[in-house]
Amino acid sequence: MLRLALKGARANLGRLILTLLSVVLGVAFVSGSFVLADSLRSIFDQVSEDAFAGVDAQVRAVGNDLNSSNAEVPRFSDEYISSIADLPEAKYAEGGIFAFERAYTVDANGEVVRPTGPPVFTGSWSGPSPVSSFRIIDGEAPVGQQVAIDPIQAERGGFTVGEPVTVSLPSGELETYTLSGTIDFGEGGTGGAFFILFDLPTTQHVLELEGLVDSIVVAAADGVSPETLVAAIAPVLPDDLEAVTGAVVIGEQKEDFGTFINIFGNILLGFAIVVLFVSTFIINNTFATLVGQRTRQYGLMRSIGASGKQIMQMVFLEAGAVGFAASGIGLVGGFGVAAGLKKLFSTAGGEFPEGPLEIRLRTLIVVVVVGMGVSLASAVVPALRAARVAPLEAFRTGGQPVRPLKVRIAFGSAVLIPGIALLCWGMFGDPGGTSATLSAIGFGGALTFIGVSMLSAMFAGAVASVIGAPVARLRGVTGQIAQGNARRNPKRTSSTVTALMIGLALISGVAVLTRSILDSFDEFLSESISADLFVFESNQNLEFSGALVDKLQTLPEVDQVAGFSPLEVRVDGDQVRATGFDSVTGTSVVNMGITEGTAAIGTKGLAVLDTTATELGLNLGDTVTVEFEDGFTTDLTIQGIFDDRSVIDADWLFDRGLTREHRITDAITFAGITFTPGTDPAVARAAVERVTGSFPQLAVQDNTEFKQQAEDQIAQLQIVISGLLVLCLVVAFFGIVNTMVLSVLERTREIGLLRAVGMTRRQLQSSVRWEAAIISVFGALLGVVLGVILGWASVIAISDSFISKTGIPWGQLVTFVIVGGILGVVAAWFPARRAARLDVLEAISTD
Amino acid sequence: MSTSQESVLPAARLVDGVKTYGSGDAAVTALDNVSVDFQPARFTAIMGPSGSGKSTLMHCIAGLDSLTSGDAYIGETRLGDLKDRKLTELRRTEVGFIFQAFNLVPTLTAEENIVLPLMLGGRKGDREWIDNVIDTVGLRDRLTHRPSELSGGQQQRVAVARALASRPTIIFADEPTGNLDSNSGSEVLAFMRRAVDEFGQSIVMVTHDASAASNAHRVLFLNDGHIVHDMSDPTADRILDTMKSIGS
Ligand SMILES: Nc1ncnc2c1ncn2[C@@H]1O[C@H](COP(=O)(O)OP(=O)(O)OP(=O)(O)O)[C@@H](O)[C@H]1O
Ligand SMILES: [Mg+2]
Repeated sequence: MLRLALKGARANLGRLILTLLSVVLGVAFVSGSFVLADSLRSIFDQVSEDAFAGVDAQVRAVGNDLNSSNAEVPRFSDEYISSIADLPEAKYAEGGIFAFERAYTVDANGEVVRPTGPPVFTGSWSGPSPVSSFRIIDGEAPVGQQVAIDPIQAERGGFTVGEPVTVSLPSGELETYTLSGTIDFGEGGTGGAFFILFDLPTTQHVLELEGLVDSIVVAAADGVSPETLVAAIAPVLPDDLEAVTGAVVIGEQKEDFGTFINIFGNILLGFAIVVLFVSTFIINNTFATLVGQRTRQYGLMRSIGASGKQIMQMVFLEAGAVGFAASGIGLVGGFGVAAGLKKLFSTAGGEFPEGPLEIRLRTLIVVVVVGMGVSLASAVVPALRAARVAPLEAFRTGGQPVRPLKVRIAFGSAVLIPGIALLCWGMFGDPGGTSATLSAIGFGGALTFIGVSMLSAMFAGAVASVIGAPVARLRGVTGQIAQGNARRNPKRTSSTVTALMIGLALISGVAVLTRSILDSFDEFLSESISADLFVFESNQNLEFSGALVDKLQTLPEVDQVAGFSPLEVRVDGDQVRATGFDSVTGTSVVNMGITEGTAAIGTKGLAVLDTTATELGLNLGDTVTVEFEDGFTTDLTIQGIFDDRSVIDADWLFDRGLTREHRITDAITFAGITFTPGTDPAVARAAVERVTGSFPQLAVQDNTEFKQQAEDQIAQLQIVISGLLVLCLVVAFFGIVNTMVLSVLERTREIGLLRAVGMTRRQLQSSVRWEAAIISVFGALLGVVLGVILGWASVIAISDSFISKTGIPWGQLVTFVIVGGILGVVAAWFPARRAARLDVLEAISTD
Repeated sequence: MSTSQESVLPAARLVDGVKTYGSGDAAVTALDNVSVDFQPARFTAIMGPSGSGKSTLMHCIAGLDSLTSGDAYIGETRLGDLKDRKLTELRRTEVGFIFQAFNLVPTLTAEENIVLPLMLGGRKGDREWIDNVIDTVGLRDRLTHRPSELSGGQQQRVAVARALASRPTIIFADEPTGNLDSNSGSEVLAFMRRAVDEFGQSIVMVTHDASAASNAHRVLFLNDGHIVHDMSDPTADRILDTMKSIGS
């Protein structure tokens, strides 16, 4: 039986290889996702261990156990460093303070030196102590008016050790330091980030965080265990500080990176599953066609004594062989995919740390199980059909009887209806929890696609006729024959284009979603923002000096300036989302939709979001107790109620005149500017840019640019997502090649006849290609229509302040259909050539 | 009869045609130095035992296969000089084919099948002539049917109509009635004969059936790649006698 199955596989090697390729692609993607995630995990585990290599204990604010950004880190006084260092259990204690995107080096041309993508990191030098995670490559550690930076930054900025380096401070001022040396992080590699290091007092000065640290790292005296050290430190600390062992910190770090990597890995895996899913249609189609073509052969075997079970086993063996081979190739291909994905993401702006790719036993097992599973599962129906072939079939002459579509329609509906129900439940209902929602959407989507694929056979013929009509009209008899062939076997047509349909459905869905987000953003910009110019940190929307607002306000070209500053405050004891803004000028730059009272709340008042007010039972004129970051507590009166939080991103609004006093640093994340009426915008803008010029991290944009930037960012995201989904199209491509090869083979005799009565090779090729084009356009149309429905449903499902309307990207959708058609033509290239090269006589005399 | 037409250009002609399949010990000589002329407006039947080279002879003259040596002509055109594209064009315009079965393109209607060679050449053809042909073969009411909706005899009649539609120099038919019952068979043969008599069409037909061959003006007998007998104005009885003498 095995020999027979292998013989069968060998006889159909060509098409099995194509099938194999489509499985390989999915399997390789799965294996690539695992390999990449595992490798990243190892790299980041190493980074975590490096970072805290010599650390026996760490002192930090309670609750600061996450790798949070500078805005949220609760900092504390550096006076504890000496009290800890004085403990007999401690050998060494060192305070550290770090922040992202606060200071930059400036090169000789006055240009800021910064990487594209990764952040610039400013912090205190903690070497050459045993707790240091930095290493000197060249020169010395920074002391006093000295700075140390990473070698890449040094090269980019043209800085040499011993020479002065200009540093741009958060306030926008420039200071000069001497480059003491170049440094490296951990075992090497900074993940693309730039580092600017000073000694602790200088860092505190540069970051405007005098006397504060993020954490204190401690090395134990000889013979003292980390646990003993932690126990000894605890009594020195106030309630809001804690000491933990280095192992705990490393564990937390790993977990923290791990969570991110898991999410990343799971997203990749999600795409891999989509590709695999798509490839099952190709395998299924191939085996269904093979079984159909071999009906006579199976009948013959049955009549000479093979049992139905044996025939079924043969089909499964063949499928298993395909799956096994695909798993092997896919596993290896996974490395390629992992490397490719790294590339894809780094071109999209991110940068991956260096490190070897690694494969774990788990990956191996999953890949083999998935590869075999997918192949065998897709062969189930064809195998059952093969088992049912009656011995009599051996003697049937002529072609295969076309089975009626009834069963298919029944099955299709039985799958489609629960699929749609599940999908809707996932999108609009509440299955409880993210993973339940995603599972509902995933399974629902899969069932929906299977259902649509099966049902599409119903109208595949009719639609192919319609699509083919212009071809038949324009291309004469060649087109007519193409059209006829395209609608000839609706089941095969619909199975063939399923992969294309799913790929394009997802891509169009994403396109619709993207367009909707952009359109909504457009609406938001015109409704909620009335500023002529915005100022913000261009990289990650980090904070910058609030003093800028005052400087800008002095410009004659500027009418109004309002700064917005995220706050850490408690209202009646509860932590809330709050923003401080310049309440006098605020409404001239943004519209927060004041429904009651006024936006000009003043330093004794505040404004609250309408839903929050309702929730808490608060009304205009009520008083609440507010505690600020620095501990200052005061009673404030509700002066205004607003309903649009899309710009200010907070439930509570305070006046910045009050909040800047009680924030550790007077920083804002966003400033809006209106020009003095009658001023030339270009002149006004130039004036603003002269002021912001000393803040290299800041972007100054008007409405159009802001929109353009958002559009670019979203478009980039769309490109990455679509880039991954394009793999579905590659699978679809193999599927079309496969089907066309099979169809051409099946029609050998007919092709011989056409050639005999005078069809030229060129005409024949053209008709095969047109046929593929018609089929593909059918699949593409189906996909685009489904995609629009999916995209539209998603817009409704996630309907939020940032996505409020559905936008249809007509141009893109039309392009997708055309791309689908071209895909078909290209896929038919080889089968068409093959058809054209058939020997006329041999072709006529085949049976 | 053949002497009186000596000066007329033959519709097709084979000169010293040799066709060998394979090489060395396994070589099979399907045509062994065969020379034959097919006169215009004549119906020629080719007979002979299985494997005698009938199909090979036809394929080589019709430009479906190439000779190992010798020359084949359709009208004045020497086939050996033609590349695939020219040869295809020649088959489309100068030659008509009727095969034993699977003569029609299943996705096209009867009418489309009839005009297929014309359409392939981007020609409309002579509509009056085509109507005439359609009426002659009696397919007027079946024009929009697809082959799967036609009987075997009707399908062969469509094939005859297709072969006639482009008014080729010569039509080749390889056992055109082989798959038909005797009634539909004789119907098809009658149409072929009418095409010769009324339209002056030249037809060469391979057949195993003596009564079918008796419709022809002339019967060629092949054996082992040789023309062993050339009979004019045949009758079924004479044909059967000759067949016996050849030993099939
Ligand atoms: N493609 C081929 N390769 C090898 N030998 C061939 C090929 N085609 C035909 N032959 C051989 O050439 C000889 C003549 O074959 P041909 O088909 O012309 O016979 P035929 O007279 O048409 O027979 P039938 O009445 O059975 O159709 C036979 O011996 C056959 O085996
Ligand atoms: Mg023959």
